[in-house]
Amino acid sequence: MTAIVEGLPAPQREREKFDVREWFDKLSGIARIAVSLIGALIIFGVIMRLKGANPLTAYHDMLSSTFKSWDSMGDILVRATPIILAALAVSVPARAGLINVGGEGQLLMGGVAGMGTSLALGTRLPGTVTLVLMILAAALAGAAWAALAAVLRQFMGISESVTTLLLNYVALDIMFFLIYDRWKDRSGSGQPTSRALPVGQRLPLLFGRVHEGILLAVGAAVIIGLIFAFTSWGFRLRVVGGNAEAARRSGLKVGALLISAMAVGGALAGIGGLTQLAGAEFKLRSGFVAGYGYIGFLASWLGRHRPGYVVLSALLLSTIVIGGDSLQIDSQLPAASVNVLMAVTLLMVFGFGRKKAVSA
Amino acid sequence: MNIRRLAAFAAATIMIAACGSNNSDSATTKAPAASTAGSTAGSTAASGGTASATAPGKGATTIGFIFVGPKDDFGYNQAAYAGSQAVAKAHPDIKVLTAENVPEDDNATRVMEKMIADGATIIFATSYGHLDPALKVAAEHPEVAIVQQGNFIKGTIAANVGTYFGTVYEPVFLAGIAAGAATTSNKLGYVYAFPIPQTIANINAFELGAKLVNPKAETYVVNTSSWCDPAKQAEAASSLFAQGVDVITQHQDCTATITKAAEEAGKKVVGYHADASSLAPNGWVTGSEWAWADVYNDIVDTTVAGGFTGSKYNANYRVGYKDGKNPFVQSKYGPSVTDATKAKIADELKVISTTGSPFTGPILAQDGSTLFAAGDAPAYADIESKNTAFVQGVVGAIPAG
Amino acid sequence: MSLLSEVLTGGIRGGTSIEYAALGESVSERAGVVNLGTEGSMLMGALAAYAVASRSGHPWLGVLGAAIAGGLLALVHAYFVLSRKANQLATGLVVLFLGLGLTSLFGVDYVQALAPTFRPIALPGLSRIPFLGGIAFKQDPLVYMSYVTVPVMWWFIFRSRWGVLLRAAGERSEVLTTHGHRVIPIQYISVVVGGMFAGIGGAHLSIAYTKSWFENMTQGRGFVAVAVVMFAARQPFKVAAGAYLFGAALALSPALQARGYGINQFALDAIPYVVTILVLVALGKRRSGEIPEGLSKVFEAPTLG
Repeated sequence: MTAIVEGLPAPQREREKFDVREWFDKLSGIARIAVSLIGALIIFGVIMRLKGANPLTAYHDMLSSTFKSWDSMGDILVRATPIILAALAVSVPARAGLINVGGEGQLLMGGVAGMGTSLALGTRLPGTVTLVLMILAAALAGAAWAALAAVLRQFMGISESVTTLLLNYVALDIMFFLIYDRWKDRSGSGQPTSRALPVGQRLPLLFGRVHEGILLAVGAAVIIGLIFAFTSWGFRLRVVGGNAEAARRSGLKVGALLISAMAVGGALAGIGGLTQLAGAEFKLRSGFVAGYGYIGFLASWLGRHRPGYVVLSALLLSTIVIGGDSLQIDSQLPAASVNVLMAVTLLMVFGFGRKKAVSA
Repeated sequence: MNIRRLAAFAAATIMIAACGSNNSDSATTKAPAASTAGSTAGSTAASGGTASATAPGKGATTIGFIFVGPKDDFGYNQAAYAGSQAVAKAHPDIKVLTAENVPEDDNATRVMEKMIADGATIIFATSYGHLDPALKVAAEHPEVAIVQQGNFIKGTIAANVGTYFGTVYEPVFLAGIAAGAATTSNKLGYVYAFPIPQTIANINAFELGAKLVNPKAETYVVNTSSWCDPAKQAEAASSLFAQGVDVITQHQDCTATITKAAEEAGKKVVGYHADASSLAPNGWVTGSEWAWADVYNDIVDTTVAGGFTGSKYNANYRVGYKDGKNPFVQSKYGPSVTDATKAKIADELKVISTTGSPFTGPILAQDGSTLFAAGDAPAYADIESKNTAFVQGVVGAIPAG
Repeated sequence: MSLLSEVLTGGIRGGTSIEYAALGESVSERAGVVNLGTEGSMLMGALAAYAVASRSGHPWLGVLGAAIAGGLLALVHAYFVLSRKANQLATGLVVLFLGLGLTSLFGVDYVQALAPTFRPIALPGLSRIPFLGGIAFKQDPLVYMSYVTVPVMWWFIFRSRWGVLLRAAGERSEVLTTHGHRVIPIQYISVVVGGMFAGIGGAHLSIAYTKSWFENMTQGRGFVAVAVVMFAARQPFKVAAGAYLFGAALALSPALQARGYGINQFALDAIPYVVTILVLVALGKRRSGEIPEGLSKVFEAPTLG
């Protein structure tokens, strides 16, 4: 907090700190990010000190316990899976200049569609076939949920960032409605959940608790990266994102491109919701994917919407979440500490990780 | 530049993915087994039986506790946390790990796994919805004893798991007597979170207690669909007061809001989870609160000694007034409770300590059907599952489900 | 009490915290800055109000503390968005996490603390007005303060010199620059003032509505406030109406339940969001003229193709 207050743009102070800033501005990209991250760790260290914990011990415990075993590192991958897909759901539309704040809702709709497919088909078909159909249904549901926002933008002029945000809540209420009512597991323990997915319809495990969803997520990132780099659709998206008016004049079908970008993003988030359902949770319940959509949004911005970096960002944020377990179990800090750590890290990188850029 | 970097990354990722798929071929065959264990540990239960050298939790040096909410919620989680600290105090040689705000989902699995990685061999999963993850973790760690607070394992119970709870409806029943005597409008209010069997049993017991001394007493119910959303609690309380409710109680994790709302509105309040009489010096009637220390310590002692498997804790353990010390105890009385009411409650305590519960038939459901037949004196283990409907005198419907 | 009057009363009572936050967000957005961290400022306000009231014994000091705390968190947002040019939406979300984390971290001691709180007061005369009196004039002082705030803010935005500067900062920043005004300071002030109002909204939640502090007690109401601003197109009177609509939707479920109706409340819960989207659709393109230019860069989409 103090560091931030000192950074206030009071004119005289700005002159005093000019040298530091100049020095900082000369740093290369990686070095700037490194300095930002270290700054974040120092600030959070001060906060931990205020709460009576020893920052050095806490950081040491965090690192050693998180990277102690394959299992805990696997947890990072499990956590990152839906976040990577939710982040890509932001990156694809962002290339076309669209802002998708609706990852949360699209994840939910993916999970709902997946569960709905499983409930409708039962165990009639082989598990793998059902699972594939569930993935398709999840992708379609996520795509439709996101495309709705793009269509409203296209034909009604309503900002997609507004509608995607609002649709998150509608999606949440749809899921709640279903698990409280039609889909509620009558033989369950009374809390509102759907029934569990039959074993055959779950994503197989790779090792430990890591399921194949991570392959879907990383594979999706690779494919999106290739599409961005080598297809004309990817190129057109960037043209539209650069200057939509110019793109329209040069004969591009801007509307179709925008809607397709949003739909592809939504499909990715939908699959993300399904990976969480079929890989980790197996049931819909009230906290299903809570917050992952927003963390994915942040991961996409952190990775500047480039698939490779987005994957790394999602892994970083997942690592913070997993490391947060250690903050409370090993260092006896309140559970909420991890939110502060994540916020401070992101603020530092957003604010100082690159040269003052034009805000999008 | 960008494209080249991206391509390099893509190539690397494809390689990783390819390696992954290779692994997955072998893992696929293995996966169903692991997953089965994950979801329905009960049915694939280990044979258990004799406590061998690998008795779950034997000689534990580290114990983990997970809580669904903050450990200072002035309610359910705080009581459980206090219990964990009592364990730490009684066992100075044992390290006690705690984690608060652990959601009732896959995150709970992860936190318990971390505790196990840190050496925990006994784990208390203290929230109702922690059961699924608890069973999942237990199936993967037969050497770890995992006990879950408040839920109910259906089917076979594996050698290293169990549930435990007090018969919460008993003190609630006694508090219902005080509420029935205290009301002048004959309308009692009950704010609850979810229509889980435990809660329905509580609401029924409260109404049955009230009706015992006041046949006209009715209990109006409102659910908030959240264990702790203070604003929803405030709104639920004012809706109930608007209907003329003059004694209110709750089944929420955090309890301060409703208690203060009652005090400010000049209504009476029956507590739950914690002694909140300081928040309502005038309106406090009585209530129920947790005293977990003895049960927790006994579970720990039994397990550390290697006797978990086959013990009463390796089951759906419920302890009530009839067969032992109920960890859910009656809170102190407020100023308005008369001696006659106190005497009546003392009498009823003796009765249910003999019959075993307030649910001695005949008891009719809201729709007039029989919930507990005449002469039916259900065992603790059956009470929650038999409370499938509200009893007569409860006003409100169980949300679809 | 009739169902209608009960739901309307509850709508005002439950909507007031959302209303303050949405009024603040309107100011911020008028200057061209969206703050998704409103929820965080509400939490800061809720805790600060409860803590200060508890320590000092004066609820009004709590309100002051809430405004300061909410404003401080918004200052973080302003700094990163305005001085470091970070993306507004992403920064707002991060600021929310920061507020959530900090308040949980430092709010532990106040869960059990007692604090003096605001109570409903029946306004003499006004509360006797049939129907309306019971709904609107038997509320707590912060609700009455909001009745005053709305027209004052309207006057401020549309009639005062400051309002001209504010709107110009968002709509036509180049005009300000030509006239020798600096845009950034105006935006800074607007964002911080926005956070202060969100803080007061939080104060209403903790020391008037629920009379308790609890971590994450806003439970998404800050996001609702951002939605209300969209619904209301940043106009104070419409903001109030939108906030009361959301409040009424929240009050409907317990009111029905207390009358013995079993309902699946999630169908009800979705209504305000769907209504907001429909309102936006109905307003459609007509609105585009009044959208702050600075905002349109981040938040509004010109229709294309």
